[in-house]
Amino acid sequence: MAGEGDSEPGKSFKLLGFLDVQKVPCSRESVLYGSLGSLVMGLGHFLATSRVRRSCDVAVGGFICTMLGYWFYCRYNLAQQRIRQRMLKEGMKNRVLFEGSYLDPGREQTGSERSDS
Amino acid sequence: MANHMQFGFQDASSPIMEELMKFHDHALMTALAICSLVLYLLTAMLTEKLSSNTVNAQEIELVWTILPAAVLIMLALPSLQILYMMDEINEPDLTLKAIGHQWYWSYEYTDFKDLLFDSYMTPTADLPLGHFRLLEVDHRVVVPMESPVRVIVTADDVLHSWAVPSLGVKTDAIPGRLNQTSFTVSRPGVFYGQCSEICGANHSFMPIVVESVPLANFESWSSLMSS
Repeated sequence: MAGEGDSEPGKSFKLLGFLDVQKVPCSRESVLYGSLGSLVMGLGHFLATSRVRRSCDVAVGGFICTMLGYWFYCRYNLAQQRIRQRMLKEGMKNRVLFEGSYLDPGREQTGSERSDS
Repeated sequence: MANHMQFGFQDASSPIMEELMKFHDHALMTALAICSLVLYLLTAMLTEKLSSNTVNAQEIELVWTILPAAVLIMLALPSLQILYMMDEINEPDLTLKAIGHQWYWSYEYTDFKDLLFDSYMTPTADLPLGHFRLLEVDHRVVVPMESPVRVIVTADDVLHSWAVPSLGVKTDAIPGRLNQTSFTVSRPGVFYGQCSEICGANHSFMPIVVESVPLANFESWSSLMSS
């Protein structure tokens, strides 16, 4: 049945009320890395310049850039992984289907196996 | 089908729906970034003293032109990719006609001889134990799994809409018009949908059930139904 995870209590955490970081792949890591990036950049800017407001601006900018940057990187890797999984699944299915037949990709083609008329 | 109080999508059962869910995640992440920025700017403006010492706004104007353009591009590119993917011509293995009536669906498998049937909702009183209220039908739409299926949707009387959320399909049924959609079911199973265009008193009581089976089972079923 679809949506079985929804029935577990306490298993969804929605940021700003709409982004469920527990269920969306890469979202939790993106937000965590974004927070870390925000802290580092904001704190670094403050230590360098002692300007509070501008450091807060840099922190927020850092949060958004780090979060989105990691998001694109993670989703790209996830998409590649899914493609590899699909190819593997297809390959396994073909291996099972064609094993022992002339279409078997693992079968070695030797001269003696070719029929001479 | 959806669980009680389910707010998110149902599990994807077709490649298009998987892509739609990925795009939805991407759109929500973009929305989170925008909301964070807006919340911060709001807080900053409310805590700052009012002053009128700004005479040159060139930089800010550059920022608030380029940033929204970047956001639009970030959303438009994957969206258009999916839009064109949905309209790809993929040589369907099966064509099926879905006709909306008040208040039931009828299906015609014109690739076969005499394979057509009506699909009425199973009344609650007649529902076997464990079956879903207001979702089960007497005759399901059976399709082979992992095969592209084309559905031509139309209606006999008023507007209806043929929708199956887990397959990512929703197509309006308009009298006098043939609308086409296609899907490929990735796995065997039973997928539920409901009429999605208000069509009268029993609009909520004309569900759609698609059953995806292996090809051999589909062949047996089609032979049985044709006879």
